[in-house]
Amino acid sequence: MKTLAFGPRKLSTLQVVTLGILMAAQLILSRLTIGNQYLRFSFTFLVVALMAEWFGPFWAAIAAGLVDIIGTVMMGGQYFIGFTISAVVAALIYGVAFYGRNHVGWSRIIVAQLVIAVFVNAGLNTLWLYLMYQTPIWAILPTRLLKEILMTPIQIILIYLLLNNQIVQSLKNRL
Amino acid sequence: MNKLIFGRYLPMNSWVHRLDPRDKLTLSFFFFILVFMANNWETYLLLSIVTLFSIWMSKIPWHFFFRGIRPLIWLIIFTVLLQLFFSPAGSHVYWQWGPFLITQFGIVNSAYVFMRFLLIIAMSTLLTLTTQPLDLANGIESLMAPLKIVHFPVETTAMMLSIALRFVPTLMDETETIMNAQRARGVDFGSGSIMKQIKTVIPLLVPLFVSAFNHAEDLSVAMEARGYQPDTPRTHYRQLVWHRQDTISWGFYIVVFIGLLALRQLP
Repeated sequence: MKTLAFGPRKLSTLQVVTLGILMAAQLILSRLTIGNQYLRFSFTFLVVALMAEWFGPFWAAIAAGLVDIIGTVMMGGQYFIGFTISAVVAALIYGVAFYGRNHVGWSRIIVAQLVIAVFVNAGLNTLWLYLMYQTPIWAILPTRLLKEILMTPIQIILIYLLLNNQIVQSLKNRL
Repeated sequence: MNKLIFGRYLPMNSWVHRLDPRDKLTLSFFFFILVFMANNWETYLLLSIVTLFSIWMSKIPWHFFFRGIRPLIWLIIFTVLLQLFFSPAGSHVYWQWGPFLITQFGIVNSAYVFMRFLLIIAMSTLLTLTTQPLDLANGIESLMAPLKIVHFPVETTAMMLSIALRFVPTLMDETETIMNAQRARGVDFGSGSIMKQIKTVIPLLVPLFVSAFNHAEDLSVAMEARGYQPDTPRTHYRQLVWHRQDTISWGFYIVVFIGLLALRQLP
């Protein structure tokens, strides 16, 4: 089964460089947020989904983890290993769901995004906040869950539009 | 869009600026562990003095640190208030209204959480202000080297990291250009309902990925023409050297660590 190719697949020079530049794109997109004061989000998950589809779980996880470390360290945020773990786990989930497919259908995107929303964004990230600042979990979990309920459909639609965009697919064939 | 992404490094010639990036990276991680170990006001005082001393050694003006705190101010206030109002009952209760109660434990705890935020932000700001991104990338690569034992592709990963850092400014300019080009054709970024704003994203992202991919193709051909092969051992032009001041700074933090262990025992 090609879907479960977890090992470090050897990359060509073009693939190494593409991953590097996609990491740069992810760093830039993390600065670009949209929304209003109640709900804002960035589009870094799109880059992770793309890396996962093109390069598989292993490389997507490495790239996502590195971007998390570099992004927080260089922007002067507070670094915490937990959020790197979250980034890596999310990339692994995308990778398992999307890698090696010619066409990524709705069902795969919905399942992957739901697992990430519940397990990573609402679960792990709340746990990290609790470990870092002893914020009472039950006090922040409702707002975080509400945010996930609002954002997950948007993320699902955007991932579908991006991965099935004709131009993006033609790029994949050149890889 | 905020242009302040990697423009945080402040070129100066202080003792901290000259430290080895590996030293500064490991020290800041070590300091985060120390902050998590602090449990009473004496330990927080000790760590505050250490932080102030490190900042003073770097000769960086104070207002740069306030700038580092500003984007996180709402998270800090929110967390501190949560701590203040939702602390478990058990100690002396000062005030109560429904589920909200202010206890002695809550006040002390929210002060600690506030200190923890401040210390961690100050230290990570110090790291970014005194270290160049490329040096940080070199430091991270060098710290990852032991992972070679478990066949982790360290060389390839390091190459990806350097390429990513090199292309952040380039892609940033291109994003700006694409946004302006789309604006000129009537796309309105950052206004309207959320659904409307989301619809403007795909016309921004797809050209960005195309241009990223074109860069990747050109660069990879040029690199192969100059004899690059992934996963083959190479030598390094930039060598990191561990100086005596790096050992001294680690020694200082070890002393702080021992002091912290002693102060933790206090009631």
